[in-house]
Amino acid sequence: MPNMLSQLEPIFRDILDNSRLNLTRESNASNVAGWDSLAHINLISAIEQQFGIGFTLGELQELKNVGEMIDLMERKLAIR
Amino acid sequence: MNSYRWDELSEGLSHEFEVQLTQPMLTDFLRLSGDQNPLHTDSEFARHAGFRDVVAYGMLTSALYSALVGVYLPGRYCLLHGINVDFVNPSFVGDHLRVTGSITYLNQAYRRADVKASIHNGDSQLISRAKIRVGVHEH
Repeated sequence: MPNMLSQLEPIFRDILDNSRLNLTRESNASNVAGWDSLAHINLISAIEQQFGIGFTLGELQELKNVGEMIDLMERKLAIR
Repeated sequence: MNSYRWDELSEGLSHEFEVQLTQPMLTDFLRLSGDQNPLHTDSEFARHAGFRDVVAYGMLTSALYSALVGVYLPGRYCLLHGINVDFVNPSFVGDHLRVTGSITYLNQAYRRADVKASIHNGDSQLISRAKIRVGVHEH
């Protein structure tokens, strides 16, 4: 299975309309152009639907960057 | 007007309504949008372009998607986040349009629903299809 970062990158590129975006574990709303509050909801919605997982608001509020998102996703996918 | 609260929504919940397109609707849309393109105002021009009459504005019929979510699904507590529309076929004055929408996804964390919607004419021909993203606010 390709690593999670490479699976997330096309989702971010599509939602943020940036075909050259290089997603890293350190990427977050402060250092990625266009990652505003509405784009954030679109990102989470796309990830939930693509991976078949759900997030609570509390879980999402604790995330500081994409790396922590990936860690959370992998925990959810492992117990599914 | 429907008044669905977030907890009352479910995937698959759907609504539909019908509207007949009239010339005053096109005239009103011309006035508010300023879109004077002759495809929407000049029958002869429209016929030369291959249509049987002036074509109704795509953004006019898409305004019906606003009514779909603002009045029916979820209705009163709707906050429109975004919409993607494809205009598949033209529509004309006199057409009876049927607007339908169904919830395909609910984002629990942010209370956001995705609605798959479409507009068909009286011949069941697809006029447009849309993916609508709506929030449900507390009042």
